[in-house]
Amino acid sequence: MNVLAVVAFAVALVPLAAIAWYVVTKGIGVINVDFFTQDPPGDLSAAGGGIRNAIVGTLEMTGFAALIAVPVGLLIAVFDVEVGGRPAVVIRFVIDVLAALPSIVVGIFVYSLVVVAQGHFSGLAGSIALAIIMLPPVVVATEEMLRLLPRSIAEGARALGLSRWRSFLSIFLPTAFSGIFTGVLLAVSRAIGETAPLLFTSLGNNFFSLDMSEPMQGLPLLIYRNALNSAFPAAEARAFGAALTLVAMVLLFNLAGRWMVARSRPSGSR
Amino acid sequence: MDVTTVAADAGATISGSPGLEPALGGKQAGGVLRVENLSAFYDRRRAVREVTLDFRPNLITAIIGPSGSGKSTLLRCMNRMHEVVPRGRVEGLVEYRGIDIYDPRVDPAAVRRSIGMVFQQPNPFPTKSIAENVVAAARFNGLVKGRGPERELVERCLVQAALWDEVKDKLDDSGTSLSGGQQQRLCIARALALAPDVLLMDEPCSALDPVATSQVEQLMTDLRASYTIVIVTHNMQQASRISDRTAFLNMGEDRAGYLVEEGPTPEIFTQPRLQLTEDYISGRFG
Repeated sequence: MNVLAVVAFAVALVPLAAIAWYVVTKGIGVINVDFFTQDPPGDLSAAGGGIRNAIVGTLEMTGFAALIAVPVGLLIAVFDVEVGGRPAVVIRFVIDVLAALPSIVVGIFVYSLVVVAQGHFSGLAGSIALAIIMLPPVVVATEEMLRLLPRSIAEGARALGLSRWRSFLSIFLPTAFSGIFTGVLLAVSRAIGETAPLLFTSLGNNFFSLDMSEPMQGLPLLIYRNALNSAFPAAEARAFGAALTLVAMVLLFNLAGRWMVARSRPSGSR
Repeated sequence: MDVTTVAADAGATISGSPGLEPALGGKQAGGVLRVENLSAFYDRRRAVREVTLDFRPNLITAIIGPSGSGKSTLLRCMNRMHEVVPRGRVEGLVEYRGIDIYDPRVDPAAVRRSIGMVFQQPNPFPTKSIAENVVAAARFNGLVKGRGPERELVERCLVQAALWDEVKDKLDDSGTSLSGGQQQRLCIARALALAPDVLLMDEPCSALDPVATSQVEQLMTDLRASYTIVIVTHNMQQASRISDRTAFLNMGEDRAGYLVEEGPTPEIFTQPRLQLTEDYISGRFG
């Protein structure tokens, strides 16, 4: 059994380590201050420049997507768990279907719904597409956490004269918070690396822009475009540098989230 | 705490619903809490059949009986916690100081503030500190405001629950960092913070070790002077040790619990009126 466990561990670890090693060795070369503070050159084959616009665009679009997906996802999960019944079953089914949807389909859907209506590509459309990607994992994680908690905790609150919703909001939800937060982190981590939904929504560009109503660059898009031009050494290096940045961002993001969760609880709690 | 102020407090909270004040006027000669012809249902299944009982102030009443005899369900009917269960339903009368607590004008939350409850499994709020566990519900219910009064309330309730000396240096630690027995006393302190005058305890010691059990039993004996206590227990020794009166419930042929007999604890345990009680007390069934 022990041998099997070690083997399984190795099998799981090897691809992870290999990818990390590959991305770091290939990407570290271009990393310097300019890489984070400058925008890419108009001609991808030219050396120099940075990926500032893509970092900012990714943060802005993913952040806005989370602003949409997290409250909606929480509400759906709360409805499913607290109200239940047939509508909840239907909603849960829809969410499961949504989770299984290829992300490029989400991109096309938002393209036909938002981009066509707006008449042009925009960061907003990209955010909406990412929000749709984030929604299922947020709902699933929240539902699981809420179902996992002992009812006795909510019951104790009710017995202290708290209304159903007060006990849910003030006692039950905070108890589930760390689990829900972890679910949200996973959802964001997944959405932040999505390329397909952004291709026909935010499109990307080569200059710095904070305007969500205009096309917006994102890290995955930048990686995609530069990798397409990897015959040029500068583009290939830029793609790997951006990939390393993306991985590091997700990692930092998760670490920061976990630290925040750990800090928010009174000492000695489990 | 003196009983009249508690009663006045209870009146103030319940009388938020109009038209109930007159009934509050005199303290009834009989019990603080009375159930009459009480039946409880889960969906269509009857779990308690037509129980009539009077709970007297400043006494501990034990409810004993085999599994399935509806002890916990009966208890939960007395502070409207039964209806928290999906499809839980109650028929009959529960009267608290002359108020029908199932009157549509009565706010169930107000009932639960006056009639506190302690559960079988200690259930402190896991994300809240020891102090917050005590004070949170009182604050939500608007019974206490400001840091100073809150600190005082925390200390007073923890002292009353015989937990202060053990936790006074770590009030900001999590409630779940305590041992099981301490957690249960924390839950008692939490209930006391709302200044109830009835405490319902649903097998409060069944998850505790013998030392913690004796601490909680001692605490109940101390609290008897200021509260009306009803305890559901599986443990007959416990009932005979701490209670003044004992009600024996049994499961009927329709699988619903019914009251067999009720009386002073020494009588029930030494010379019960009914053979069935005698058989249960002496361990012949249950």
